[in-house]
Amino acid sequence: MKFLALVARRLGATLVVLWLVASAIFLAIRAVPGDPAEAIMGGPGSQASEQALAEARAAYGLDRPVLVQYAMFLGRLAVGDFGTSYSLKRPVAEVMGEVLPPTLLLASCALLTAWLLATIGGLLAVRATALGSALGSLAEIVAAALPHFWLGSVLIMLFSTALGWLPAVDTGTPAGMLLPVLTLALPLAGFLTQLLRDSLATALGSDFVLAARARGESKTSVFFRHALRHSMLPVLSLSGWAFASLLSGAVVVEAVFARPGLGRALLSAVLARDIPMVTGIALFSAAVYMLFMTLADAIASMLGGRVHAA
Amino acid sequence: MPSVSRARRVLSLSIGLPVALTLLAACAPSNPESSTSQASVDPVAGGTLVYASGDAEPTCLDPHVGGNYPQALVASQYLETLFTKDAEGKIVPWLAESTELSDDGLHRTITLREGITFHDGTKLTAEAIKANIEHLQDPNTASSTGYLAVGKIEKVTVTDELTAELTLASKDNALLESLSMPWTAIESPEALKRPKAVNCTSPVGTGPFKVESWQTQQAVNLVRNENYQPPVAQPERSQPTAYLEGISWRFIPEAATRYAALQSGEVDIIDNAQPDTIATAATSGAFGHLDAPRPGAANRLELNSSKAPFDDQLVREAFIRSLDVNSGINALLFNTAQRSYSLLSSVEPLGISEPDLFTPDVQKANALLDEAGWTERDAEGYRVKDGKRLSLTFPVSTNQSVPAEQSLFEQMQASAKEVGVEVKIQLLDLSSWYGALAEHEYNLVSAPYTKVGPSVLRILYHSDSTVPAPSGYFANNAQLKNPKLDELLTRAEETNDEAERAELYAQAQRLVLEGYYVLPLYDQQNHFLYGKHVHQVGDTTAVSSPVYYNTFLAK
Repeated sequence: MKFLALVARRLGATLVVLWLVASAIFLAIRAVPGDPAEAIMGGPGSQASEQALAEARAAYGLDRPVLVQYAMFLGRLAVGDFGTSYSLKRPVAEVMGEVLPPTLLLASCALLTAWLLATIGGLLAVRATALGSALGSLAEIVAAALPHFWLGSVLIMLFSTALGWLPAVDTGTPAGMLLPVLTLALPLAGFLTQLLRDSLATALGSDFVLAARARGESKTSVFFRHALRHSMLPVLSLSGWAFASLLSGAVVVEAVFARPGLGRALLSAVLARDIPMVTGIALFSAAVYMLFMTLADAIASMLGGRVHAA
Repeated sequence: MPSVSRARRVLSLSIGLPVALTLLAACAPSNPESSTSQASVDPVAGGTLVYASGDAEPTCLDPHVGGNYPQALVASQYLETLFTKDAEGKIVPWLAESTELSDDGLHRTITLREGITFHDGTKLTAEAIKANIEHLQDPNTASSTGYLAVGKIEKVTVTDELTAELTLASKDNALLESLSMPWTAIESPEALKRPKAVNCTSPVGTGPFKVESWQTQQAVNLVRNENYQPPVAQPERSQPTAYLEGISWRFIPEAATRYAALQSGEVDIIDNAQPDTIATAATSGAFGHLDAPRPGAANRLELNSSKAPFDDQLVREAFIRSLDVNSGINALLFNTAQRSYSLLSSVEPLGISEPDLFTPDVQKANALLDEAGWTERDAEGYRVKDGKRLSLTFPVSTNQSVPAEQSLFEQMQASAKEVGVEVKIQLLDLSSWYGALAEHEYNLVSAPYTKVGPSVLRILYHSDSTVPAPSGYFANNAQLKNPKLDELLTRAEETNDEAERAELYAQAQRLVLEGYYVLPLYDQQNHFLYGKHVHQVGDTTAVSSPVYYNTFLAK
């Protein structure tokens, strides 16, 4: 019951967040200088005639009073209608449907890779000497601080230009996925390893671990059977945040590796001031973030951990 | 990043061109230097060229819609124009066979070549000219560049199967130049009847390649047009159709990734090659380089003469004299660009060059500023007059100015400081940049402009061009309002006499240059790097966009 209540509460919160995000976007658009009709008629610096601009305004309802526009905007969103892209002249939902799978694939692979690297890092940390531990810690901090743009470029220079092992451009082959996934996963892995190391240290120092060790269990066994399971909780509950950070990282990584996806669509949409497209992607990202927070908490709650109230 | 090219208004008039029927390769190599080295290899048919563009992916593959350079680059493979430019820069017929102008200069007859067919099987007839001009003029098309290029055409009358008569609202000796640009290319009238969204994804032309499919964010797939017959016979070729089976046109926005993909052989050719990369590639000798400067205006700084301090010619000259542009081009652009002292691109035959006006002279700059009354200095060393600092706002579009050019501007900023002038560089995205110009919040600006022919001068410097379009856009960034100049530009676009046209445009250019309204920098850069296995790269359209009809792949 507690579990269902949690999910219900989170869903309610999600709706509120989405409404706030939608309203903030609606207001922000009006605060940005420039005529949306211009974006519809060919983008910045357009030389569209007054007549053409007026027609575009009428076609997109931009000639209505602001409150009416706001109501129409929310009404359409409520039934899942994100509108028509200004620059592509196609339904936003349709475009997002096309670019979403490659981004989800990239982000999921990166998240799994980061988890895997973090677990290995955590295991090594447990067995490490003081010096090794210090070096490991340093490596984690450095990795966590690496900007995606820089890391992606360095990986290309190293593995594509210098060594010639992997393609620089991701054209959908498994080999092409490696560098983009690593670029996204490494900084996150650094962060997650730090988190895991801290909670592992706490767990390994706790009574139940001492008791297990006293029973004669090996360090590795204790690590996997007791400490790791315990320490995964904070890592899991941060995965909602982590996934959202991967989505934003995808903007950079997709541009660097010329990979199709949501991030690249967002970048083009921002540059073209394609408001419906930006709105659609922003709302979708917010929804995904909330969904993953809820999922992570639900899993954590099932694993028996305590979940802080949202 | 690409410069956004746009033609603002069609200039009037005539290139009195008794158009000769000759012309061999209308798309003649604009840069023999880049294509001769591999001339010895015999053409081989087959293979797909993988092209990597650094431009933003077009939202529509029909260059009638909007009308920017990235669209022209790709459309040059599948669409053709009525006219084009030969190796000497002369406008010559392409899909058209001949053209004639009436004595009053208001009726232009265009006769098409016989036997040309669109990719969809539709025959090229005079109806196509009518349908295309009307498509460009239809507000629903949302054409910008092409719309302005055909703005003086009042109506198109089909007089027989292959002949159409264009009635002009006023004389326009730039019309044939306008009709040589890919933004006015001829598409199948049947295909134009389809909904706009469909035509945008699969425009139908007469070119050597056709659009097979477009996977957005991945590639535009072009395949060879197996029925292609070049409008002008190409006796030296072993086959009338393109050598390449197709072109995979990809978009790789990151310059470093693009070059890495070229190095690893993932792609065969890249555009928007950056100065550092070009220099590296030249040293290694591993790649071919096509340098195809765009026509129209040279890249230049324009000084806003409508407000202080650049309403004072002394200050304008002082600012220009304080800068050593050449050393910046050497150091920051690795000599990949040739310094220009002209308003027009070096590919424009009617451009004039005035190097002496722009010789750097710091002493003179200081003297001129003293003379203009900017004699006091503030705590930071900047000149002050009536309590106001000599300060210049310089909005820079990060979409249009590549990093090397931004560095050049920063070097200018440092040089200007030496004579007590503050330059405030503002790096802006394209929308904000246009916004700053529309609000007149600039003293200095660099705004590229691509167009075929000297008529671009009217767009950029006639006082009419200070009047904003509904979006706030105007092209006369120097804010020149000089009745004498207006008159020269108007007469230049109306005359039917080629020599008089040249002389009038020369006078107009001198007037602008000598008034220090503009600091020319270099041609609009347009660099391509390609693997050594790619041969016969170098043919270009009138707007310097390469055509890969003659290109072939051979190890």
